[in-house]
Amino acid sequence: MILETKALGKSFGRFAANADIDFSVEAGELRAVIGPNGAGKTTFFNLLSGTTEATSGTIFFKGNDITRLDGTKRVHLGIAKAFQTANIYPEQTVLQNCRLAALAHTQGAFALELLRRSGRLSGVDALAERALEQVDLGGVAGVRSGDLAHGDKKRLDIAIALATAPEILLLDEPVAGMSRDEARKTEALVRKLASSMTVLIIEHDMDLIMGISDSITVLEAGRVLANGTPAEIRANQRVQDAYLGGHSEAEIEA
Amino acid sequence: MNAGVRFALFTAIGLALFPFAFHAIDGYAGLATQILIMSIASIGFNLLLGYTGLLSYGHAMFYGGGGYVAALLLIRVMPQQPNLWLAVLGATLAATVLALLVGALAVRLYGIYFALLTLAFAQMIYFVVEQSQDWTNGDDGLQNFPAALLPIGPYSIDLGTALPALPLGPFGNLSDIKLWYVFAALVLFGVMVGVRALTRSQFGEVLTAIRENEERSTLIGFNAPAYRLAAFAISGALTGLAGALRALYDGSVPVDAVGIDRSGSFVIYTIVGGVQTLLGPVIGTGLIMYLESVLSARIDYWRLIEGIVFVAVVVFLPAGIVGTISKKAKERAQKNRALLTQSLRARNGGGDSQSESNDASRRGASAPGGAQAGPERLSK
Repeated sequence: MILETKALGKSFGRFAANADIDFSVEAGELRAVIGPNGAGKTTFFNLLSGTTEATSGTIFFKGNDITRLDGTKRVHLGIAKAFQTANIYPEQTVLQNCRLAALAHTQGAFALELLRRSGRLSGVDALAERALEQVDLGGVAGVRSGDLAHGDKKRLDIAIALATAPEILLLDEPVAGMSRDEARKTEALVRKLASSMTVLIIEHDMDLIMGISDSITVLEAGRVLANGTPAEIRANQRVQDAYLGGHSEAEIEA
Repeated sequence: MNAGVRFALFTAIGLALFPFAFHAIDGYAGLATQILIMSIASIGFNLLLGYTGLLSYGHAMFYGGGGYVAALLLIRVMPQQPNLWLAVLGATLAATVLALLVGALAVRLYGIYFALLTLAFAQMIYFVVEQSQDWTNGDDGLQNFPAALLPIGPYSIDLGTALPALPLGPFGNLSDIKLWYVFAALVLFGVMVGVRALTRSQFGEVLTAIRENEERSTLIGFNAPAYRLAAFAISGALTGLAGALRALYDGSVPVDAVGIDRSGSFVIYTIVGGVQTLLGPVIGTGLIMYLESVLSARIDYWRLIEGIVFVAVVVFLPAGIVGTISKKAKERAQKNRALLTQSLRARNGGGDSQSESNDASRRGASAPGGAQAGPERLSK
């Protein structure tokens, strides 16, 4: 069990965005988290990545309680996240985006000795370049990242996460807004990544989810509605009802 | 010659020629020395504003704090053997500690809240200084403290010593220059070379990254408040160093050194010269101090003129004087490069390399290496 939550909850005032979430992922698993809009998926990811503090419950990473650790500390433990909207450094080159992540990984959260280093650290460059190769952006390493196309920006965001050498990668809607070609490319990327690390993915594209996930967790109204393999989830009547409540049938069929 | 050596050489030449050129436009050598000293504070202020985006409205606490500590060290601790090194070092350390204490609270705030908190701390320091009559002489400030000597090896140098006489026509006389100017120029030179190295180090890259996207920076593993605190401490240290030098040079510390006007002056010097440039704070400090000194002697409304200059720069040159010039130069260089690429392509029959045309189609325009205006954009 690499990541586990017990009765995890997040309330904003009286509104419970997440409540009573018991969740566990095995190392190496590719787990999808799905649910209708407003089900609390992104809040759940924020609780796992440490950008939001839980109001109840506990999070364990490899058996250690990390509930009170902030996002920066969790990255250094090996939990990285790619954002729903590409979260990059638009003014920096594509390579520099990844170098920064690799620099944080190799030098730690705060390193005054960086003052003395103006040259390049070879390990940092290697890590950054490998991350770029993984998402197939090695050819545009010198480009200002703000000039990239939408799909490339999102893959760069994933590369930034990879450059922190994570053990578990959180992907928040990695194909949202992508063209069919870009989405297919990203799907192949997610499959490839899942062979070397644990991947949690939020996605609305049901074709993709049903095709690539080992298992699926369905959230509704901030709570876990169901857990199971893609086949089990597809056959689950409660899941169908939840989706049909406000969504087209096509979204869950396929 | 690499860029670092060229920078050092031009800076050294500029500092060596400055007081003579300054004389030709009615500036006097003493003002030249003060400008150099104040530039150190402005560079410190700009390190914070330019590289973390935090605008401090309380840097007088470090400047005046440095001045008072240096003076008190001479008066209370070593009146018999006033050592300039120790006074300056002690004052700089004190400013650093103060910056770490204030920064520990302030670096978690942004924008106006950060400005207000630093202002509040500076005002607290001001009232402490004003009320501590026995130590600080209250409103009158400290004067007549022992002139510190600069021990170097077996020698004890009096920085008040003038250089040998040598008439230079419209540029005055070499003997107008005291060793103080030479000393201030050496310190400023060291600060400029050091700050340039800092901003080009990976530490500077991390600061830039945090300023550009703090959320991403914390989620790749950087402790953003710690980096900001480090920048704040270095900024405070440089400003404290300047305050100490100014006190020792003037031989007095007015209570205004910790006042709100002084805090505001660093904002003005830096923004007029150009935030995020190395030379900007120096140019801005020189220009405003020159205007103040020359205009205040001739015109009653010099404050008004100063205000108009500030407004004009903010409105017409938002990047400041140096910032605007360097931006224009960069744009011109990019344009030239783009034209060159274009003509090379035309000669090669278009598409000179596979990767480049790939890049261009991916991002619309811009040449590899980060140049902005690519050939495509120009040809459209």
